[in-house]
Amino acid sequence: MSKQYLSCGSAGNAHPTDIYGLAVTDKFCLSASGSSSLKVHTTVDPDFPLVQSLDGAHKLGCHHVVTNAKGSRAASIGFGGEIAIWSCHDGVWAKDSTAPANQTGSAGIWAIALSEDGQYLAGVSQDGHVKVWDLNASGEEIRDYETKGSFGTCIDLSADGRFLASGHENGSIYIFSTETGRMPFSLSGLVKPVRAVAFSPGGKFLAAAGDSKVIVLYDTSSGEQVANLSGHTAWIMSLSWSNTGEYLLSGSFDGKVKVWSIDARACVATHSETEKSIWSVRWLPKVGRSEGFATTGASRSISFYREATGG
Amino acid sequence: MSSIPQTEYPLNTASPSPTEEQNHSRVKDYITNTLSNLLTELCSPDGHPSITVKPRSTKVSTRFINPQTGALETHVSEACTTYTWPGKDCYEAWRFTVAMRVLSGIADAVDKGVVVSKSRDIYYNDPAIFGSQRIVDRLVDDFAHTVGVDRTALNVGAAAKGLVVGCFQWRIQDPAMVDDAHFFNPDTLVPRPQDIQGLEVSDIEWVLILEKEAVYRRLAGMNYHVRSMAGLGILVTGKGYPDLNTRAFIRRLYDESRRRQASKRIRFYALVDGDPDGMGIMSTYKYGSLAYAHENSALNCPDIQWLGLRTSDIVAGVDPSGNDALLSLTERDRKKILAMLSNNPVWAVDGPEQEARAELLQMLMLNVKAEMQILYDGDGGLVRWLDRRMTHFP
Repeated sequence: MSKQYLSCGSAGNAHPTDIYGLAVTDKFCLSASGSSSLKVHTTVDPDFPLVQSLDGAHKLGCHHVVTNAKGSRAASIGFGGEIAIWSCHDGVWAKDSTAPANQTGSAGIWAIALSEDGQYLAGVSQDGHVKVWDLNASGEEIRDYETKGSFGTCIDLSADGRFLASGHENGSIYIFSTETGRMPFSLSGLVKPVRAVAFSPGGKFLAAAGDSKVIVLYDTSSGEQVANLSGHTAWIMSLSWSNTGEYLLSGSFDGKVKVWSIDARACVATHSETEKSIWSVRWLPKVGRSEGFATTGASRSISFYREATGG
Repeated sequence: MSSIPQTEYPLNTASPSPTEEQNHSRVKDYITNTLSNLLTELCSPDGHPSITVKPRSTKVSTRFINPQTGALETHVSEACTTYTWPGKDCYEAWRFTVAMRVLSGIADAVDKGVVVSKSRDIYYNDPAIFGSQRIVDRLVDDFAHTVGVDRTALNVGAAAKGLVVGCFQWRIQDPAMVDDAHFFNPDTLVPRPQDIQGLEVSDIEWVLILEKEAVYRRLAGMNYHVRSMAGLGILVTGKGYPDLNTRAFIRRLYDESRRRQASKRIRFYALVDGDPDGMGIMSTYKYGSLAYAHENSALNCPDIQWLGLRTSDIVAGVDPSGNDALLSLTERDRKKILAMLSNNPVWAVDGPEQEARAELLQMLMLNVKAEMQILYDGDGGLVRWLDRRMTHFP
């Protein structure tokens, strides 16, 4: 089985430097790069035009930008370690004054994630702490989980908000229950640095990948490894689940982008339009029956793909 | 401003350039004036002996890359610092004493026409009072800046640090052996720029600047400057961050290069570690340092090409060495990168080194660095890697 995705446009030279972070809502695609502005492109218009530039967002550049499911709130973290919270009103993004991030980001946070409703911000720090802040309560820190101190490279929150997963430089992967504050089980982890973790939309699986070039699927009810997806030949930098959870998208340092069928446990599409490293991949909201995704990285452009239909 | 006779010119070097001679008399004037003012004040009952210096780069308002010279320069608001005796408190009294001791150390060196090795010699005259060599160092720089000369004119040269070997010839005036002018094929320390009397580099096609002495020794040991597929060349190392002598020598080679036809220019390469210090060292040769911003335009070498080591080459597996040889950044490394990105226009968003900026950001993203030793074990080792790179670059 294979699937075909066609290039359906791109935002060329969206940033003057490498683009590291991508976040997608039902209408917008937010991107973060080694320059100080965040860029907002619309995904509704087939030409994906730039609609807003959030200038001066992060002085030294920004490496992660995330949004909640509704697309009402976003969070970004800069290379200087500062976290900014954004909200969207009537299609315009602005600094979120109701969610001061004054207490957040003080602890060497590297990667961040937002809960579905946008109320909770989670972050993993360079010294391996996993923290949660309540943005509706002045950014108060409500959780602080300690791990073994390895650099936290990636984090994700499950859609129902019950679980938090973090990936670390030493290959460790942790799952925490946000209700009990405990680890329901320990995961076997990877041998090399983990670069991406992602819960499936239904929360059944956790996918993890990184320098070992393999994507590992864990069953979140048992913590067991249920599949190894191999095929990438370079470090895997980013993962994203399709809206239905049928497909997993991955991007690697050699510029390759792959689509994996979860049922078949196999790669169903490979894109190698660039040799420049892919830093981030994200599925786009479904339009009709057709699914699509966006990829970005050292090419400094954002590329958009749609599933070939009606064949 | 002074009537000090300039006949007592004691430098027994061959024939100093006019500027060197002028510098020398400026230094002598400054020392004589300052010391005699001190004496006058000390002799009068209500005198206030004082020493005023213009500290170099005190309040830097802006840092920028000069488009003409390609050097890192600063706009400095010139402020003066005055050390007085006895001063308000113990600390001020100490500051005055230290300034005076350093000045007399300089006066001594200039009078005798000897070069004291770095500030160390002055410092070890009385370590207890100076406290640290840094204090002496800074004062020597401040005095040089006040007089408007570089520190070698104060006869406080840095101890030679850089090493050079290559297919060239020069004549060196060794200040320790006054009437002995050498002419030889060197594998030697890089001398003070004013001691290089003749330089013949017409055979060479490239200059390879190395961060690490170990890499230099390895390449010099196998005569890479002769055997390279890229032609005849020169190997230089400043052993980490280069001293002023090494930078001046690279600049001298650059000036030689600019006298050639455009197609025959010398190619300058830098091979540094893929870590923040490596990037900082390359930038020091190419643009200059923040510490000596006032001298950068006479010391920079804008032609330098970055040969490596790029972490992306290792990660992407372009280099056969594989990526197990990468190291994690330390907290110091990460802080250093952030400081470089925020303080130095070389790596600014709109700065001249976009590729280097992307590399620094990528180090932060991946939390990795790569050291030169990686190249030793690759297929064909360091030499094959260098041959490939140096013939590949135009």
